[in-house]
Amino acid sequence: MSTRKKILIAGIGLISPLGSGLKETTLSLKKNISAIAPLDKTVFQLRQSPPLPVGQIRSVDQSPLPRTHTLAIKAAKLAMNGISATPDAVIIGTTTGGILHTEELLSAEVTDPGQYRHHGLNSVAEEVAGAIHCSGPALTVSTACSSGTVAISMALKMLQSGQAEYVLAGGVDSLCRLTYYGFHSLQLVDHTGSRPMDIKRQGMSVAEGVSLLLLTCDETATPLAQILGCGLSCDAHHPASPHPEGKGAMEAMQQAMNNGAVQARDIDYINLHGTGTPDNDIAESKAIVALFPEPPPLSSIKGATGHSLAASGAIEAAIVTLCIREGFIPGNTGCLKADPECGLSPILQPRQQPVRTVLSNSFGFGGNNACLVIAASDYPTSGLAISTTSPLTILGKACISGAGHTENSMGSFSRLEAIAGVLNGKILAKDLPARAVRRLGRFSKLAMAIADAALRDSGLQNSPDSVFLGTGWGALSETCSFLDKLRESDEKFPSPLDFVGSVHNSAAGQIAIIHKATGTNITNSGGDYSFEQALLATDTFLDDSSPGAFLLAADEAHAVLSPLFDPSITPETPLADGGGGFYVTRKAIPGKISIQLSFFHKYQETTLTELINAFTEKESAEKECAMILAGIPAADCRDGKRQLDIFMRQTGLDIPVIHYRKFTGEFASASSVAAVMAIHLLEESVVARDRKILVLGFGKYLSAIEFMYQ
Amino acid sequence: MDTLINDLKNRLIEILNLSDVTPEEIDENAQLVGGDLGIDSIDVLEMVVMVEKDYGVIINNKDIGEKVFSTIAALADYIQKNSPKLSS
Repeated sequence: MSTRKKILIAGIGLISPLGSGLKETTLSLKKNISAIAPLDKTVFQLRQSPPLPVGQIRSVDQSPLPRTHTLAIKAAKLAMNGISATPDAVIIGTTTGGILHTEELLSAEVTDPGQYRHHGLNSVAEEVAGAIHCSGPALTVSTACSSGTVAISMALKMLQSGQAEYVLAGGVDSLCRLTYYGFHSLQLVDHTGSRPMDIKRQGMSVAEGVSLLLLTCDETATPLAQILGCGLSCDAHHPASPHPEGKGAMEAMQQAMNNGAVQARDIDYINLHGTGTPDNDIAESKAIVALFPEPPPLSSIKGATGHSLAASGAIEAAIVTLCIREGFIPGNTGCLKADPECGLSPILQPRQQPVRTVLSNSFGFGGNNACLVIAASDYPTSGLAISTTSPLTILGKACISGAGHTENSMGSFSRLEAIAGVLNGKILAKDLPARAVRRLGRFSKLAMAIADAALRDSGLQNSPDSVFLGTGWGALSETCSFLDKLRESDEKFPSPLDFVGSVHNSAAGQIAIIHKATGTNITNSGGDYSFEQALLATDTFLDDSSPGAFLLAADEAHAVLSPLFDPSITPETPLADGGGGFYVTRKAIPGKISIQLSFFHKYQETTLTELINAFTEKESAEKECAMILAGIPAADCRDGKRQLDIFMRQTGLDIPVIHYRKFTGEFASASSVAAVMAIHLLEESVVARDRKILVLGFGKYLSAIEFMYQ
Repeated sequence: MDTLINDLKNRLIEILNLSDVTPEEIDENAQLVGGDLGIDSIDVLEMVVMVEKDYGVIINNKDIGEKVFSTIAALADYIQKNSPKLSS
């Protein structure tokens, strides 16, 4: 076995309330300046005053794009400055996407769907990929406040496993009404500005920012630092509060150190998540005290920057890189007297001190925890290379469509009847415990019902420990309800329940709570390729030490928002929703079906040729593949059909092609239902047992998922 | 007072989606948070919004909040004493 690769940080694009670029940020940090100040009306007008203190970026370039996208593109260019390589993938952590823009459009009752085309979280990664000419996967991670750190962790794993040589990864969020009023409604905002770890702290300050890191395993690159390891966990405890003993936080920190092959005593500095909320700071402190007999110097910078949500972990990864390079430790800005209940002594004033290794923490709603170990570029890398050779094996499957649960959906499909539609809510939730799902909207219920049914289908008693969920649009009901109530009450009565439910990862967090799944928990949002993104995340993170994972995708149809957001849905399109999911494990099991994402690239003439070559280079492609389930979103109908025609003609494959959206109807995660169809066809021996079924995606991206018996 | 208690039970069922219980099944003297209804801190915040919106009573202090939301009877009592809408 070979030693594992060194993963270097080769470029950084950083814009935070402290400044733009590394130089300005360093100066601010060394002066211990806080950028937290009352929101000014250049971001959005408030109907309730006085304005709350926030971390705001004072100068954002004028652009027709939403603020989040503008920030992300600028940071991508900063990170790529002077670099000739093009990244193989872009991974963006974000929770807000284009919502600031959407809030204004909905308020003005704009009904032109074209105006909402940058609403989707995925549009940020796609705009960034376009700006830097990346034709690989443009992935979106949305795990609330740990999103940026999870994005970097995913990049680290993809680079370590040889899936990529260069990846641009990080996080971005802009201020918007949803988060400004949402955290306020949860009484988590400190009205005097955030003071993490202070005895009088009362909460956080919502902020905005972006940080993108260019990561590479190319040892000829000029490194700023290296990422040694990452650790991901889920509290599986509560939708919005951390585990009181910091159990999940401890697990993520320990895993990051194990993954980086370092011990607690090797860590020179801990960059705290330290939001300033009473609960977070206590739970995080307890976890640190339990893991570190003698804690190293530690501090939270959120008293200086505010809490920029999805961006925060990536911003802090950039800042600890600065600490390592310049030998300094930032102060815990805003903290005057440390809370004795925390039992830690944060560094109150910035100090010059050599730093070689840093543990950086990020924790979020849904109990989504992620930690990184970042070290000087010459720090020795030890540990063995990751070698994942086993396939992802399907132990159980389930789906929901307009026709009903799995059995009804597949029964109708077998009779070649359309299964499109919106399943009655009571039938949808018939097997879910009423009390446990009382607060959940349709999207979360869909995802939870699919997970439960996939577990039942596996016949196994024990749930998997990890959850990977893809969704194009997330919790539309809660998002719409939150914004409606906000508007109707003249911004006076935002709903805390709707806010907690509106975050994209709420469903995966709920599934973790029900199934006590404390392992990796990731929500991806990739428009029509959301299931493919979740499959890629599963393939990247799931190893054979885990009993397995729920791999799920779902989308809810929303009468108002779906036709505005999803370009494949016009006001005349009959609404359809649902999703599919699996219990998968990383073990080869003869007699079981495996699932493999064998191709995923942005559509270009060259990538179409690559896809064609992948299926013609094999001498016996036709003998191997028995059937194609093709997905062409209605919005990309013309291009998609042309791509499929070229694919069929040039591969010479003469096998049946089923256009699965004709059965499922139009919704972003329809390919997850197609995946269940593929397994159904194999299990029902519609095709020979030794042959494959392909689920192919055409349109803006080209994707290929292969299903076969082992 | 009974009308207010009954009113609150109905509002709680509605805003907290307690679709599997009826107002009669809720004991106004039973522990509200962490009790049989499965009500937690986020539900309390939703109730804070409802109490301010519907009764004009602002509860923004944690200590008062803990007392007020101990039972539905205590909540009704606090609203009765502090609501400008009920006294007018």
